[in-house]
Amino acid sequence: MNPRLTRRHFIKGVIYSSAAAMSGAGLYLANAQSRPAAAVERLISINVNGRTRRVDVLPQETLAHTLRYKLELTGTKLGCNRGECGACTVLIDDVTNYACSTLTHSVKLRVVTTVEGLQSPDGQLHPVQQAFLDELGPQCGFCTPGQVVATVALLKTNPKPTREQARQALSGNLCRCGAYDHYLNGVMRASGQLS
Amino acid sequence: MPSHDVMPDIELYQPVQVEDALALATRLAERGWLLGGGQDTYGWLKDRAKVPEAMIDLNGIESLRGIRETADGIEIGALTTLTELVNNPLIKERYSLLASAAEKVASPQIRNVGTIAGNVAQDVRCWYYRRGLSCYRAGGNLCYADTPEGMNREHAIFGASRCVAVTPSDTAPALVALEASMVIRSESGERVVAAEDFFIGPNVDIRNTTVLRPGEILTSVRLPATWANATFYFEKVADRNAWDFALVSIAAVMRESGGVIQDARFVAGAVQCTPRRLLDVESAVRGQPRTEATAQTLGTLASQGAQPLNHNGFKLHLVDSLAKRALIG
Amino acid sequence: MTFMYIGKDFTPPDAMGKITGQARYAEDFRKAGMVFARLLTSPVPSGIVRNIDATEALRMDGVVGILTADDLPAAPRPGVPALSNELTYVGQPILALVAISEQIAENALERIKLDIERRPFVVDPLASLTAGGPDAYPEGNVMSRTADGMALKSLKWSPDAVEAFRNGSDPGDVEYTTEWSYGDLDAAFAECSVIVEEPFVTAGYPHHSLEPRTCMSYWENGRCYFHGSLQSQSAANAPLARMLGIELEDLCFINETTGGGFGSRIGPYPFMAISGYLSRNLNRPVQVRITREEEFFIGSARSGMQGWIKAGLKPDGRVAAVDVIIVNDGGSSGSGSGASSAGAISVVYQPTAMRFRGVSVFTNTTPRGAQRGPGQNEMHAVLAPIMDKAANQLGMDRLAFRRLNAPDNNAKVEANQGPVTSAYMREAIDMGSELFDWPTRVNQPRRNGSKVIGVGVGMAYHGAGNNGFDGIVRIGPDGKIYLHTGVGNLGTYSYAATVRAAAEVLQCRWDNCEIVRGNSDFGLPHSSGQGGSNTIFTHTRSNWVAAQDAVTKLKEIAAAELGGTIEDYSIGEERVFKTATPTEGLTYAEAAQRAITMGGRYSGAEYPDDINELTALAVQRIAGSGLIGVAKDNLEKNGTAPGLAIGFAEIELDLDTGKYDIRDYLGVAECGTVVHPKGLSHGMNGGGVWGMGMAGFERHVYDPQNGLPANVGLYQSKPPTFLDVPVSMRHSAVNIADPQTPIGARGIGEPAMGCAAAAVMSAIADALGGHLFNRTPVTPDMIIDHVAQNTYNNKSLKINTF
Repeated sequence: MNPRLTRRHFIKGVIYSSAAAMSGAGLYLANAQSRPAAAVERLISINVNGRTRRVDVLPQETLAHTLRYKLELTGTKLGCNRGECGACTVLIDDVTNYACSTLTHSVKLRVVTTVEGLQSPDGQLHPVQQAFLDELGPQCGFCTPGQVVATVALLKTNPKPTREQARQALSGNLCRCGAYDHYLNGVMRASGQLS
Repeated sequence: MPSHDVMPDIELYQPVQVEDALALATRLAERGWLLGGGQDTYGWLKDRAKVPEAMIDLNGIESLRGIRETADGIEIGALTTLTELVNNPLIKERYSLLASAAEKVASPQIRNVGTIAGNVAQDVRCWYYRRGLSCYRAGGNLCYADTPEGMNREHAIFGASRCVAVTPSDTAPALVALEASMVIRSESGERVVAAEDFFIGPNVDIRNTTVLRPGEILTSVRLPATWANATFYFEKVADRNAWDFALVSIAAVMRESGGVIQDARFVAGAVQCTPRRLLDVESAVRGQPRTEATAQTLGTLASQGAQPLNHNGFKLHLVDSLAKRALIG
Repeated sequence: MTFMYIGKDFTPPDAMGKITGQARYAEDFRKAGMVFARLLTSPVPSGIVRNIDATEALRMDGVVGILTADDLPAAPRPGVPALSNELTYVGQPILALVAISEQIAENALERIKLDIERRPFVVDPLASLTAGGPDAYPEGNVMSRTADGMALKSLKWSPDAVEAFRNGSDPGDVEYTTEWSYGDLDAAFAECSVIVEEPFVTAGYPHHSLEPRTCMSYWENGRCYFHGSLQSQSAANAPLARMLGIELEDLCFINETTGGGFGSRIGPYPFMAISGYLSRNLNRPVQVRITREEEFFIGSARSGMQGWIKAGLKPDGRVAAVDVIIVNDGGSSGSGSGASSAGAISVVYQPTAMRFRGVSVFTNTTPRGAQRGPGQNEMHAVLAPIMDKAANQLGMDRLAFRRLNAPDNNAKVEANQGPVTSAYMREAIDMGSELFDWPTRVNQPRRNGSKVIGVGVGMAYHGAGNNGFDGIVRIGPDGKIYLHTGVGNLGTYSYAATVRAAAEVLQCRWDNCEIVRGNSDFGLPHSSGQGGSNTIFTHTRSNWVAAQDAVTKLKEIAAAELGGTIEDYSIGEERVFKTATPTEGLTYAEAAQRAITMGGRYSGAEYPDDINELTALAVQRIAGSGLIGVAKDNLEKNGTAPGLAIGFAEIELDLDTGKYDIRDYLGVAECGTVVHPKGLSHGMNGGGVWGMGMAGFERHVYDPQNGLPANVGLYQSKPPTFLDVPVSMRHSAVNIADPQTPIGARGIGEPAMGCAAAAVMSAIADALGGHLFNRTPVTPDMIIDHVAQNTYNNKSLKINTF
């Protein structure tokens, strides 16, 4: 056994006197105490990619978590889990959302579309996907599902966006590789403005 | 130091009536957390830096949605998203200042779910505070930013009172400029607070940036006709053009008549803990034409009395520049 | 040379998975019984863990194990240990806790109590260099050579010397740890009519690859199956096997797709030991996913520089002499690239005499490592306006000045002044000047109200080609061509672009080729790491030689079957046939069948002696499955293969707000033959975005009072968004073949960034009438402070600060 793993002395760092960051004492009240009644039911149905899925969802569970780890829809990526990068972008009722910052319980009556739900039933690529393929939109690809989904949402409301409108619409989707130019070419191709 | 990004155990309530939400808010008090768009919620919870026991998800309450005309202006439901503000014909037509401000918030995804209530009620972005340090605002007894070597480029140049964090909201200066009033409900009734009084600095309450108290819910924001279709100017200067907070922002409303400004309200964001009325600027421009010459007379009026920290002296010049630009448009 | 595939676009096979969401990154792999580890990291910048009380955590339901530094082999120090009890930066991993779910693991971390003894810390290299200043490690602040190798020691400069350095002067008689020089510096300066002398600072900053690195591993029958997120594939096997203490054949490394790397994931990083050891100890699959915050902490970062430069121009504009001093902020790993920074100057400006003196100082900030053009790109960026100043003083056009000094085929490289394989920088400059219309741009009206236009130019260099690696191609009895590659998939598509060299040699249909990659059990050759802009050069060569070997074997098989010698045979349309009577021949499928029958070197039962052990293992795996072409790249290469680029930028800077829009950006690559146009476009434009991030946004900020990092998250680190770069970006390439490599291609990934950073920095200075900030990044507050004549002191060499 590890020699350092037996004792209990603990010196708080001066600057961490809030203790929240280090000791964790008293942080799990939510676990320990009884809660008021009438909280949400855990077993819920959600509509994802045209299918109704019955899932056991914790009250605090994020949609990204449900999609990736319960429904095996791993195309929705977790780049930051903080709503700062856009890799987890999904459509909820055709509007872009950060799935990492959405509670699954909040989408019960709504329609969720992930990157996996864009292809037609016969497997044909969505026009946005085809355009992104033709323009070789991705580099590392980690942000790509989010870029594809954000573009699908844009073209639903603005079928012929200008390049400027397109980048405004995609501005919540960070691409660390800097493939922005290729993605915008993809948007222009998908909207029939690039031959 | 654990680094978290998984949501902790917490209960969730999804009331569909505002009365039920108020009852929950009253019952849970500090143990409850009101949930709108949630974009300034999950980070706190994932970090375990705020540890409420339950979230009260307001999104199912239809009465908190929508933008309606009233006898004197319009009323914006608290759950109205920033995207809805940007696209709403009434807002665009009469109060485009607010649409311009809302459009500058973070990113499209955040605007799609972020609400007007959440945008004004969001907590400060001081990085020390967000790291979970025990600063004044977090209940401790020191400020890490207001020190000779503190990293305080984004912090306040006005109104410091132990805490030097600034208001992070893009819509707040616009609402103050438009003389909005905030409708606040609790189980004991309703109170209406002027936007200017809704935001409070650390000298009033170091733990809260608004007058909202446990058990209260901001249900709507009213915009009076006073400034409808006035001359507007909004500008936000941030490092990045998406997903960033203002270094300084400005929201200005002006009524012109006979070639001169009859009345005006100039409000700066990110220079102090609350949106800052630039009263000296307002006085100086009243009765003056919107010209370069008038702008030059403003000089350093906007930054008059500022007390910069060691890394944010640039905000003085910036707020002065923005005041002039707002005047000229 | 006319190529079938080289220089033509194609759709790399992994692109489909990326746009459908089916591409699998390390964290997308699950395995039955898998458990999850999370890290507990240091809250202090410097200290010693005296006690870890995990009693309560380990008692929690669902917690299955813990790993601490004491459970791992002793790591060399100073270094970047996977886990450590010696804490040298905030965020350093101390232990990993394992549970049946991530949430339980996170909850359990809260129950662990640490007893930490604090030590003094430092976040500014010059503060540490100052006599009496703190050292990041108990033994010192720099690495220095001793009789027994490298060791830590405490290196100090007098306060006066540091003060002189901070004020922009040569600090005089002080100690450095790295020095080189060539030519007669004093004589060269004596010839100069213009001499500029400037201090400079460049900020370090995190890579923040979008995929937080994840490891998942499990053991079966004594073999470790390891899913990782690396830039490289085959380059991982040997070091990872060593890290896990197993034989090369007992490691199966799987890495189909990686979410960016930019230098931070070239080879196995120590963190990977955690899942490897835990999965072995617990005998079940273990995944370690880290948070975005932890990606900041352990995901590596660029080293910062505090420096001084003196450069002299002869009356004709030739750069005669450069003298440069660089103090690197090495973070807790001590890694700096000062010598590379200086070396890059020697290439781009070709000074006749040069001296570099440097020291890389440990600080209690995150570990540093290679980041896209490490050392070179920040040097190019901060130097561009300084060189502009020199050219302006001489009354020379900035572009003409660069053209005069540009590297050509006679260029000399770095300290040893070795040769280049080729260099056509003048051609790049001329191409860029025309496409950008430089003369018109620089002569346009500049001021419009508070807006002012700035026009900038910047050049960049990075070594861009290696040699001596192996290639494997296999022709199956099904007639398909299997192109085995050990090149990783980091997003550049170079794994696919380079195997096209083999298809080119085999003159086969591209749609009849299958790229074999992503899993070392598939039989992948020894390859370079996918870093340092080298893959295009290095692996077009290795694929070329492997395919040549296959062609030779095809001809030998045909000659054995149909008579004659190999000289009598040709290939084409996936047949090997008699040149004189083309109907006599074998299809590739038939030849592959014969190869299997003939065995020996044809089937891979035997292979060359000079191939790497990993390649030998790969050949053993695939032996008997077809005709095996396998060879080591023994092609001639004399000199450094340079990657060169020039960037042009026009900005509109707002004097009121300190903000600027990049209205036009053009990057021109000088990378030999263009292999994959869309790949080049990605490299140039993506590099351009990175350069704009360096020039205007990205930096470490640490509070010197407590050693805390201020900008950990993405919104605080500020990588450029869609709205922070031009709405359209332009690029071009010289496209002249390098004579020292079969298809003539060199790499470009790193200079693609440096030239953009340099061009934007040059444009900022130009917009402000030649004002030098002498630092990267230049942020709006700095521009405002300059305009407002606030007392912004850019000569204090402050670093890790606003």
